[in-house]
Amino acid sequence: MSVTAERVEHGRALPGDFAIWVFILAELLVFGLFFLAYAFARSRNVELFNASQLLLDRQAGAVNTVVLITSSYFVVRAVAAIKENHARLCANWVGAAIGLGGVFVVIKLAEFHAKFAAGITLSTNTFYMFYLSLTFFHFMHVLLGMVILAAVMLKARRGGYDAANHTGVETAGSYWHMVDLVWLILFALVYVIR
Amino acid sequence: MSAPKNDSSMRPCTRAWLVLLGLTLFTYGIGSMSVGGIAATGVVLLATLLKGQVVVDHFMGLRHVRLFWRVLMFSYLAVVGVAIAIAYVLGVN
Repeated sequence: MSVTAERVEHGRALPGDFAIWVFILAELLVFGLFFLAYAFARSRNVELFNASQLLLDRQAGAVNTVVLITSSYFVVRAVAAIKENHARLCANWVGAAIGLGGVFVVIKLAEFHAKFAAGITLSTNTFYMFYLSLTFFHFMHVLLGMVILAAVMLKARRGGYDAANHTGVETAGSYWHMVDLVWLILFALVYVIR
Repeated sequence: MSAPKNDSSMRPCTRAWLVLLGLTLFTYGIGSMSVGGIAATGVVLLATLLKGQVVVDHFMGLRHVRLFWRVLMFSYLAVVGVAIAIAYVLGVN
């Protein structure tokens, strides 16, 4: 019996493989601690954080939030498609999600480039240490998510999933939604709250 | 996560997506005005908590799973939000 099937006793099972949920919870914990470290460091350096935050590209952050939310939405549509046995449509939705992931990557790289070009690094001040390390850590998760989604897209295109067998699509989707969820908190905390 | 669409209704996931876009615009708007203070921060944190819960319920699809997982995810969002709020108030004081 699969790990996923074992958890159907009370209510519906978690979508995807249970193992990805262990990973998701672990990652949420790590990011949560990172967020709290930022928040409490900020409480000891309010003027510095407020002044440094003004130099962030909030528009880029907002656009990236819309990009990731929409990318997550495309993944939800992909799961819905494969549940209705539309494997090609599923692959297309996943492809679109990856495309938006690419948009996020480009915008984020442009942000990093602008900061480095202005001479800002991890050792500039505490705010930028947090901003650069937090967003880079998240950026790596985006890249990993895109690789996972690409594998799912290729398998869907080859007919590897159908309505009765699509755990992989849900597993990848769950991970991608975690990446989106983390960014929602990060955007509010680092780009907006002052 | 995304119920099939009948002819006249919008998919629940599409509604959730639009809510998330609206809340993002709202959060960005507050950011654009460079509004600070406890009230503004509280509003932003509440909006973020709501966005997070929409992602958990409608994108992650946890709305119909065992209550334990929904409570766990909501608790995560609430604890992180409250801790950020406490840190913010400490900074103000």
